[in-house]
Amino acid sequence: MATEARTLPLARPAPRGILWSLFLTLPIFIWSLLMMGFHPGAKFDLVSIIAAILTTLFMTALFFMMMRTHSTYRWRRIFFVSLGVLFPIGFIHDLVVARGTMGIPIEEMIAGRTPFCFMPIPMLILPAAFTRTLIFPGSFASATHGIAVMVGLWLALTLVMGKGWCSYACFFGGIEEGVAAIPPRARIRKLDPRLRFVPWAVLLAMVLLSLALFEPAYCMWLCPFKAVTEYVAARNLLGMVQNVIFILLFAGLVIVLPFLTKKRTQCSWFCPFGAFQSIFNKISIFEMKIDQSRCHPCLLCQNACPNLSLSKESIARGETLLSCMKCGACVDACPRQAIVWHIKGTQIAWKPERARLMFIYGAWALAIMFGGTIIANGLATILHFVV
Amino acid sequence: MALFASCGEALVLGLASGPACIAACGPVLVPSLLAERAGWRPHVRYLSAFLAARLLGYMLFAVVAWELGALASMLPAPRLLMMGAIYVLLAGVLLWYAYSSRRSCASSCTDSKLVQIGDSRSRGVAGAAALGLLTGLNLCPPFIAAGIRASQLGSMAAALLFFAAFFLGTSLWFVPFISLGCIARNQAVLTVARMAMALIALYYLSMGIAMLLGKKSYGY
Repeated sequence: MATEARTLPLARPAPRGILWSLFLTLPIFIWSLLMMGFHPGAKFDLVSIIAAILTTLFMTALFFMMMRTHSTYRWRRIFFVSLGVLFPIGFIHDLVVARGTMGIPIEEMIAGRTPFCFMPIPMLILPAAFTRTLIFPGSFASATHGIAVMVGLWLALTLVMGKGWCSYACFFGGIEEGVAAIPPRARIRKLDPRLRFVPWAVLLAMVLLSLALFEPAYCMWLCPFKAVTEYVAARNLLGMVQNVIFILLFAGLVIVLPFLTKKRTQCSWFCPFGAFQSIFNKISIFEMKIDQSRCHPCLLCQNACPNLSLSKESIARGETLLSCMKCGACVDACPRQAIVWHIKGTQIAWKPERARLMFIYGAWALAIMFGGTIIANGLATILHFVV
Repeated sequence: MALFASCGEALVLGLASGPACIAACGPVLVPSLLAERAGWRPHVRYLSAFLAARLLGYMLFAVVAWELGALASMLPAPRLLMMGAIYVLLAGVLLWYAYSSRRSCASSCTDSKLVQIGDSRSRGVAGAAALGLLTGLNLCPPFIAAGIRASQLGSMAAALLFFAAFFLGTSLWFVPFISLGCIARNQAVLTVARMAMALIALYYLSMGIAMLLGKKSYGY
């Protein structure tokens, strides 16, 4: 195994053959068809079938390129930005159709008619443990899934992928990743490393306040994405203040700072769910490792990391920080192939492409299951206006 | 005999509403404990000061409310004002706490002696006492339940005894917080604790100001 690790080429490997790449993509194509609802007995209208076909082709093509080029990040980013843009389009449309407004009144929330969101999961735990009560009784539009199913699914996927959830399943992070990709270079480069602790502080504060107030405090006061999903149906001055907080946080953390720093600042510096997901990186079998024998610390990986998950100290230790989202940016950026996908318990750089494939198949299946269906919904919304 | 019965009732009421008490005190207690030095001794010291001051808060409220005849029937407007004032004071103490621990880890966190609130031990105790007193005066649901029951007793002494037994019952739930002393302290833990304190303080401050202005807590 050690011999194989030493014989890895320093330069990026040549592209895979087209046929071999197609063969590797076949399972994902079949999974896409299933997730888009192409099964016997399924009923589609014209717009839905066009959206489903486009999404299947889109997700399959991106995976094919991942296989062919050995590169992960740039193809994943196309998916992720599309998800981030199309999610609000489909979501707002559905809200307006169902409720007539984006504003949610408190009685709707108490009645459990708020669409389910994964963000409050860390805030549900303590109130549920103490009182067996769900403080965010979100539901699904189809009403065929209970909240327990969703939480169970999240837990199963999270145990395997760790914080990979934030790169392949989260439907909020795409907007800032897209904004961060716009400028050619960062305007602000010196970033205070202590800002990495803010998500943990927000998590601690919100979990404790949620228990004390018996409400999902983050959703009520601090969620930047309320600005593009469902805001507070303000009935007094305080409601207006809440909405102003949401808009300012969205503008600052999702638009302005990503543009200035080329980083996912909301994810890196604020998101409590991301901090919570980081804990599961300790359990997940997949991680990123730095082969010290190949690394000449040029810090290209640190600059490329959109989540500030690499520091000089962590690179010296041969690992990423706990907050790593496994997006693959560092792997793609490394000119010496020193950073590799790694399965815990194996030797570093032991068949890294095999580790990458094992992770990517799971991650992309998850991406299609959550993101793919959301993209299809967003596309269908747009097509409804066009066709 | 009736006195023993009411004390027993208060103890059981305290034990039963303990989870609600630690939920109400958690946002104040957990981050400030995490900003303490590691080890069980500092945590016992901190919790003792916190709980003693909390008992004092209970007693003060019981005496004043009994004298004013407002133990069971405080009108909504003064209740809102009182809670608003307590929230603003809590925010002030928490912000001071977060600020005063800024030098805690200035040179190194490997030596646990350096990890303390500010420069003196007395500051930690004073902070714990201030937070304990304010949370003791905070009108949380279990406290109001105890107040209503205490108001039905025959004398102020009996009401005070009732509150003392109630306090004892709730305080048992605070003992597990000593285990936070087992968490190793480093720059990350201290910074997170300080930031969390500041965030919670901002929440209390905004809620307190809203209450003082007579606004509802919700904008929905």
